[in-house]
Amino acid sequence: MKRVFLLFSLLLLSLMLIACSPATPAAPTSAPVNNTPFATAAGAVVPSSTSAPTPTAAATAKRGGTVVVGVTSDPGQLNPGLTTAGGTHAVADNMFNGLLQFNDKLEPQPSLAETWTVSTDGKTYTFNLAKGVTWHDGKPFTSADVKFTFEQILLQFHSRTKAGLENVLDGIDTPNENTVVFRFKQPYAPLLRRLDVVEAAILPKHLYDGTDIQKNAANTAPIGTGPYKFKEYIKGDHITLVRNENYFKKGLPLLDTVIFKIIPNSTAAAQALEKGEVDYITGVNGPDIARLQANKDVVLVKAPAGPGGSFCIDTLIFNMRKPPFDKLEARQAFAYGINRQQILEQVQFNQGRIATGPIASTMSWAYNPNVMKYAFDQVKAAELLDKAGLAKGADGKRLKVVFVHATGFAKTAEVVRDNMAQLGVEVELATLEVNAANERMFTKNDFDIGIGSYCNGPDPEIGVTRAYVSSNIKVGVPFSNGAAYSNKQVDDLFIQAASTIDTAQRAKLYAQIQEILVKDVPYWWTIETELFRAQRKEVHDLRIWAGDLLERAWTERT
Amino acid sequence: MSRYILRRLIQAVPLLIGILIINFVLIHVAPGDPIYLLAGDAGDEKYYAAMRARFGLDQPLAMQLYLYLVNAAQGQFGYSYAYDRPVFEIIFARLPATLLLTGSALVLSTLVAVWLGVVAARRAHSAADHTIAVVTLLFYGMPAFWLGQLLVIVFAIWLDWFPVQGMTDVRHSYQGLEYASDVLRHLALPMTTLGLLHLALVTRLTRMGMREQLDEDYVRTAHAKGLPVARVVNYHALRNALLPVVTTVGTQIGTLFTGAVLTEIIFAWPGIGRLLYDATLARDYPLLMAIFLFVAVSVVVVNLVTDLTYAFLDPRVRFA
Repeated sequence: MKRVFLLFSLLLLSLMLIACSPATPAAPTSAPVNNTPFATAAGAVVPSSTSAPTPTAAATAKRGGTVVVGVTSDPGQLNPGLTTAGGTHAVADNMFNGLLQFNDKLEPQPSLAETWTVSTDGKTYTFNLAKGVTWHDGKPFTSADVKFTFEQILLQFHSRTKAGLENVLDGIDTPNENTVVFRFKQPYAPLLRRLDVVEAAILPKHLYDGTDIQKNAANTAPIGTGPYKFKEYIKGDHITLVRNENYFKKGLPLLDTVIFKIIPNSTAAAQALEKGEVDYITGVNGPDIARLQANKDVVLVKAPAGPGGSFCIDTLIFNMRKPPFDKLEARQAFAYGINRQQILEQVQFNQGRIATGPIASTMSWAYNPNVMKYAFDQVKAAELLDKAGLAKGADGKRLKVVFVHATGFAKTAEVVRDNMAQLGVEVELATLEVNAANERMFTKNDFDIGIGSYCNGPDPEIGVTRAYVSSNIKVGVPFSNGAAYSNKQVDDLFIQAASTIDTAQRAKLYAQIQEILVKDVPYWWTIETELFRAQRKEVHDLRIWAGDLLERAWTERT
Repeated sequence: MSRYILRRLIQAVPLLIGILIINFVLIHVAPGDPIYLLAGDAGDEKYYAAMRARFGLDQPLAMQLYLYLVNAAQGQFGYSYAYDRPVFEIIFARLPATLLLTGSALVLSTLVAVWLGVVAARRAHSAADHTIAVVTLLFYGMPAFWLGQLLVIVFAIWLDWFPVQGMTDVRHSYQGLEYASDVLRHLALPMTTLGLLHLALVTRLTRMGMREQLDEDYVRTAHAKGLPVARVVNYHALRNALLPVVTTVGTQIGTLFTGAVLTEIIFAWPGIGRLLYDATLARDYPLLMAIFLFVAVSVVVVNLVTDLTYAFLDPRVRFA
């Protein structure tokens, strides 16, 4: 009997080892993350086709076939004009178009608008629309759809576009069926970067006019102008789209069918990719990276932008409303005292880079590398804490601060706690589910340190300004100025930058803003995150940086 | 009998109202705010206020509760924030997937557990008995997500017998028998995960019951009059030993549902458990309330059915 038991124990032990193996990415054959055959140079986004070193990458595109995309959340509704939620956009953006779309360098390119002109004073934008575009139900697309979409949908419900345009936009005119004119109260620079399908998808007026837009049946069975038409939505399981035979861009799209399969667990999604149950997934977690790299049928790709957020920086928020972070020295002490290299290696598995300031280095035109540097230096941190009047007590402790964070940041928070403990600072961790953490930081302001993933968006005016201008110190608004940072000079510079049309001039203003902010450290920018995405190697030309992921995609497996 | 059922159902009404009120308060007292999902992350105060008013979230909590109960009494349980459809329409659309998963797991694990229990009882204190005890308890102690991953790695990745996730192969649209076999292939691993977690209790109960019954005089009599051993064990003793098992299986429905939440997430199974998980993350209050109510009603009904099964198994029990 003992022998049977022993045998059995051994069997169990081996089973446990099997189960543990995916958590240890120590497969001897796999290359370290940094040596992968694709590198992302600062500022450049590597499109999947060039990053995938497959011999057939240059082969001519094939028509037909099915691509299955693994998505993490059930979108609920499929109207991209009503929400900024990544879950909705990941699917719906493939059925719609913006006036413009981004190329792989995130430069605006023609889409529903064929050409455009900007008046010399920067106040008037005129767009000439593509001709012969029809909605999926056969009705013609006209300038009236554009005007209606902005006025009745985007400026009412799309929180980013609403926040960006409602105070500066004077009006939208439609002199004829193929022309749309945007008039602004002041010169407005970022417009061309906020007209893609993520920020401003164009919706059909004939289906939404005069209806309760949020309850419209078209929200779950959309009619768009985009490359794919809606076929079915099995809630909680998958969404199926089919080729739009009358797509206005000649020869596109190439795929017959596109299926979005909802897989909430990222490990399961990675395994489904390995087995070929899905062809593309977003967000590969650290432990899965090495295993996917070792798989010859899978290619890892990355881009700093996408429908879930562009140019994102994991950012600590110092609550400047009260001590200790009302003092500059205290904030700087934390900046010197936290080891970001350790966060990059242990938490992010070397995905991304150490940040230098509020604008991500990959947004190269606006990024300023010449700012104050805070190299990890605990001696300096201790000096600054002393200077801030936070000397060590008899028990060796200086102070206690509460660090509120969502569960996704738990590991980062632990590094911060350990780093600061060495300086005699006790960091008490308040780990909450994301929604509860947002409430505690942005509604109740009940925190000393908070943390969030702040995304720059396609333009600094869209994603950067909101966190630093004093006019955006708001109660109950997530990702507003949670630090309560208030600096008249910074406020003025942001206003000036938004209304400067010349890109070089704008860049200078943002450079100045970065210098000031980095010196003041109202926030502490830790890591520019860059999530891996992964795809089957037989799939090509995915637009992974944009909302319209599948417009040009094709597969060898038809 | 029917009067008994009616009385039990009437008794359940105040219970369910109490459950509704407690759930309502708990859900709203928990930190978090649905408005961020509803309105996006870059709105201003005015916009958020307008969205709150639209969904009635600007009312005092007591008022919201009152309105909810009044509407519920009329059969109106509201619309899901995330799906913008009536809540029970969404729940019923997900019900078949969960019934299939939990039902098959329950049936399979009960059958296996009873068999293991009988084997263990008949060979008490043997190596087999100990092995069964250790194995079932070990499964009982494993977290669902861990056990599920283990099964995926062995049977889906290494051996390539089963798919990793989902309820159907979305690349094909199978019909009829092909569809059924496709679903079964997808069902195998989640069902096994959920079933293994629930083996222990029924195995132990069956073993205990059988041990007691096998020592009874009527069993000795049955043996003495020359009945085959199989008939003595499987017909006479087992039927009596199963009484406590029936109660337990009934009460396990609730526990099984809890396990289904995790299992459905791991295997991307489109059932109510995942709906509950999504609704919690999104603070989809009407949908959460409806799911809790649905589970509460299921437990009440299953308990009633369990009590009625008693009468069938034990003729001494009568309802009046």
